[in-house]
Formats: sequence, C-alpha cells, structure tokens
Amino acid sequence: MAEEGPFTDISGKPISLECQNYTPFCREFTVSSPKVSLLKVMGYTCSVWLLAYAVFFLTENTTVLSSAIMVTLVGMILHIHFVKVDQETLLIIGSLGIQLSSLYASGRESTTFIEMSKIKDIVINEAIYMQSIIYYLCILIKDPSEPDGVASVVPLFQSSKPRLNCLVRVYKSCQEIIAQSR
Amino acid sequence: MKSRRRRGDKQAAASCQPDAHPPAPHSPASLLPSGTARRSSQKKHSICMVSDFFYPNMGGVESHIYQLSQCLLERGHKVVIATHAYGDRRGVRYLTNGLKVYYLPLQVMYNQSTATSCFHSLPLLRCVFVREHITVVHAHSSFSAMAHDALFHAKTMGLNTVFTDHSLFGFADLSSVLTNKLLTVTLCDTNHIVCVSYTSKENTVLRAALNPDIVSVIPNAVDPTDFTPDPGSRDDSKITIVVVSRLVYRKGIDLLGGIIPELCAKHPDLCFLIGGEGPKRIVLEEVREKYQLHDRVRLLGALDHKDVRDVLVQGHIFLNTSLTEAFCMAIVEGACCGLQVVSTRVGGIPEVLPDELVTLCEPTVSSLCAGLESVISRQRSGSVPPPAAIHHQVQNLYTWRNIAERTEKVYDQACQQPVLTLPARLQRLRSHCGAVAGSIFSFMAVINFLFLLFLQWLHPVHLMDAAIDASGPDSCWRKSFKKGKSKDPHPD
Repeated sequence: MAEEGPFTDISGKPISLECQNYTPFCREFTVSSPKVSLLKVMGYTCSVWLLAYAVFFLTENTTVLSSAIMVTLVGMILHIHFVKVDQETLLIIGSLGIQLSSLYASGRESTTFIEMSKIKDIVINEAIYMQSIIYYLCILIKDPSEPDGVASVVPLFQSSKPRLNCLVRVYKSCQEIIAQSR
Repeated sequence: MKSRRRRGDKQAAASCQPDAHPPAPHSPASLLPSGTARRSSQKKHSICMVSDFFYPNMGGVESHIYQLSQCLLERGHKVVIATHAYGDRRGVRYLTNGLKVYYLPLQVMYNQSTATSCFHSLPLLRCVFVREHITVVHAHSSFSAMAHDALFHAKTMGLNTVFTDHSLFGFADLSSVLTNKLLTVTLCDTNHIVCVSYTSKENTVLRAALNPDIVSVIPNAVDPTDFTPDPGSRDDSKITIVVVSRLVYRKGIDLLGGIIPELCAKHPDLCFLIGGEGPKRIVLEEVREKYQLHDRVRLLGALDHKDVRDVLVQGHIFLNTSLTEAFCMAIVEGACCGLQVVSTRVGGIPEVLPDELVTLCEPTVSSLCAGLESVISRQRSGSVPPPAAIHHQVQNLYTWRNIAERTEKVYDQACQQPVLTLPARLQRLRSHCGAVAGSIFSFMAVINFLFLLFLQWLHPVHLMDAAIDASGPDSCWRKSFKKGKSKDPHPD
C-alpha cells in the first residue's frame, strides 16, 4: 500500500510519504525529499569560481584557482555524504522495536535500532527551531531507574522535517501498533 | 476564524461611531436587545500574555499572570503565555489546565529583562501570534522589554493590544525620564491600559500622557484559601511584628532599621520577625548587632511563596514600610491572615483596605512608631477584632475570579476598537511623543513593518502549522479528558 499525499516540509518543499504494511504488526514509513538539484549545484560552483577568479585577478596567484576547484569538489562530496538526506525510513515492528535509517545522497546509509522494551512512547512535540516553532515526532526512551521517567528523546525525520499533517498520519499508525503490542 | 470575522464586523461598527470606547448609558449600544449584549460577552478571545517575568522567577507580576490566566481559562478563553527562556527551561511547556507557555530563547540583559532592539524578537513572536490565532496581546509590567517589544510587533501585525502596568515611577531621575519616554511611545497607540490602583492610573496617565478614558483600574487579588488565620501558632506571651518584603530601598527598610531599636527599648515583650532577602539586609543586621537584639529580631532570609502564610500567622501585627507601592499585595495577605496591619500612606496603599483594618502612617520613623504604639496598646487591651473576623471581612474583597471578569470586559472593549493603520500610527507617534522620539520611533515602526513583510515572504503564514488548542473553545484537552483517554500528544 503506497500513499501519496500533498505533503510538504516546513519550508514548503514537496516531500512524499510512503507507508507500507507488511503485517498488522509491522509497518514501514519512508519520507523522501527531492534530490539534489543540478541548478543549485551549478549556482554554488559558479559563485565560488567567480569569487576565485576575482581574487586571482587581484593577486595573480594560480593557487587560488586550484584551491577553489578543490573547495568545490570537497564541499560537494561532504555535502552529499554527510548533509543531504534523500530518504528517511521508520520501520516499526510491534514485537521487536523500531529501526530508523537515513539514506544520504551519496548512497551512504546510517541505521539505528531501538528495542521495544526501551521505548516508552511515540509523541508529537513542539520545539523552537531557528526562528520558528515547529512540530516534530519523537520517540521517548524509558529511564531504567525510574519507571515513569523519560531518559532521552530521539527525534524522527530530522532532516526532512515534515509538517503536522504528515506527522499525524505516522503518529496514528505507530500508536495502533504500539497499542497492539502492549 | 469565526471569532476573527466577528471581530471584523465589530470593528466596522465601531469605526462608524466617532467615540467608540465605553458605551455611555444613553448610547444605542445599551438599547440593543439583551440577547445581543449577552452574545458579545460570550465571545471568546485568544489571549497571549507577554512578559519577561514568569515562573520559575517569583514575584507579584508572575503570580498575577498565572492566576489571571487560570481564571480566564476557566471562563473559556484561550490563553498562551510568552516569556523568555529561564536557563534550562526553554521551548514549549504546559501548566495546569492546558495553559501553554512559550519560553523563547531571547537574550537576557539586566534583572531578568531581555535586551530590546525592537526587531530581533519579531520572528518568534510573530510565529506564536500566528500559529495560536491570537486576537488580543496582553503585555505586563513596564520593566519588561519583551512586553514593549510585543506591543510594538502586535500593532504592526494589526492585533488588539492591552497593557497592564504594575508599578509606580518617579518623574525626576534619568532612568525614569527614559522609561517614561519609552512608555509614552508604547502606550500612545495601545488599545487599552490596565492599572492596579487609582494612584497607579494617575501616575501612568501623567507619565505616558494618555487619555484617561482608555485606562481601567483592576486591582490585584489574593487567594483567600492560601492565607487563613491560625491564632494557635502565635505566642501570646509577647507581641510579634511581622515584616515580609524584599529588603530593598523601595520597601523602606531604612525606616524599619530606625523603628526596631526605638520600639524594642520601650516594649520588652516585642519581637520582630522579618522575612525576605535583599541588599538592605546589612542595615537590619547592623541594628541587631548594635543594640544586641539577637533574640528579638529574627531574619528569616528569602521565603518561598508557600511559606509566607506560615510566617504571617506567627505574628500579631503586620508592618509595611514601603516608600512607593502601586498596589500593596502584602498588606492584603497580612490582613487575610487576621493580622493588624500598619502601613505607610504612600502610592495606592490607602485605597487597598477599609480604614478599620489598617493603620496608616506617614513614611517617617516617628509616625510609624506612633502608629505601632497605638496598635500595640489596642492589642494589649484586647480591643482588636479576632483574626477570624478580619479574615472573613477580607476574603471577598479581592478574588481572582472577579479580576478575570473585569479583565474580560477590558478585552471585549479593546476588541471593539480599531487597530491603527500604519499611516495613522505614524501620525499618532509624531503628534504624541515629541519631534525627536516620535520621528525615531516612526522610523522604527516603518522598518518593523518592512521586516514583517520580509518575514511574510520568507516564512508565509500558510506554511505555519496552526497550533492544536490546549485551552479555549476548541480545546482538545478537555475533550480527551472527558473521554477518559489520555491522548496527550505533548508530554512535558
């Protein structure tokens, strides 16, 4: 089952939410953001190079040009490897736990797994982010010493930052599974 | 949405009448059928209280905002509070009954007041106002820079504004002159102003050169159930005078330092119990050393609000030596605990309690001593009314429900007034605030307006998620509580 809604992230860029039901106890949510746009890459590259040419024109030193090329290349590699996330996946298995994975633009994938026994709940919370106030989804981790306490909070979909309507849909189906597994 | 449309209608109606503020008895408004009038009073507001001072900071303004908000929630309005972050406490928190508090990360400059640049708080405050669908912005305390900022932004955004002034000011020294100018600028286009006593109203009207018609007087209140008398906990073999105040110059601690040795020499069975902390503590400690009064003058240090009552009930007489006071909560608390109250006759204090409950003196050592002596002799002869009788008399004088009801009327009235458009606002600023300040702040208002337009382009309203109401008519908390299902999406 794939659902495509008119979802956007908090800055208005379109994102898509894919929701797959494997069994009643196992669901996978994938939030995909748009790919790196070629135009943006070209724009950044051009601006760095133009700046380098201006400096070169004044100093007449060729290392400026070669270092500008290095900077753009390294910057691009770092960006697609560590910053730009194409897909974020939340796999929830009622009896086992929750797996979070994010797929970077370079193809690198980072995955974490949280056991169900450690999870207290999944909630939608509010936070002040930059100069605005946003909603986000997060997992509350149980405090082993205190049964009712919360030891830490794991925010979900950190890089795609979907808006509330998308979060509510994920929240509701996660709650169904958590309620069943208790 | 609905309430906004209704407000629009009201504005149109109000602008037809030349003087739109309080409806005089013969005005057409009072001839309307009672149904219409009732509907207007049932109109629910979305109120944002803004002040630098809120819990965990303790004080009169903080408890005023909290209690007033709780009573307004009880009356079905939606209330959110915006303040600055206190250390670790930042972000969005919920208090009792779904009272939502935004602790915004703004830099604190001096005395828990934020730095004011008129602009840097706009993005966050705009976000709060927009996502909560705020209709009335209520700012508190003229010491709070954030309150001034919020009023400035709210007027730029076209929201109705109400301001409550909690303190009295002088006119002579440099800091008062500057604060008064700032107040003039802030209040000249505010829809309605609330003061805590008539003296405070007079002071504010003079300081800010206001039209007195838009200034209302709504006092503070005390929770009578928190301040109950307990004659058993006091020692009747001696007479105890209680003082509970911050130990600062404004509270007249130097006078207290003069009174203590004089009275202690005359009455060997007299004790002083002093609660509070501050820079003037050294004065009292000096007096205690010099006259060897360690067993008769007890300094308790800073008190928690919950401990105040336990200190008050240990005494027979409550002494207040303030040099300036807009509305003295302390003497109401003292009287509510059944104590005999002796106070200086300054500021709004004479209005607070009926004459039989308070002995007023001039703010001099000799006058206060004379006042205290007369109360002590009355106490000795047993001609004072019992604490329970005093409590009974005071408990209904100032209640928060009554305050909330009156504040609601202020909101109703403020919502009927039009918010000035930018050109009208600029004209008002220049005609009310003098040539220099008026021009500077007109310029600021224009810049603020342009900044708002920029923000509207950068972060449009349709991209902001509307907040889920925890209070007010569309509260989702109350519904889920009724169902008995704890579907609380926001912990913490």
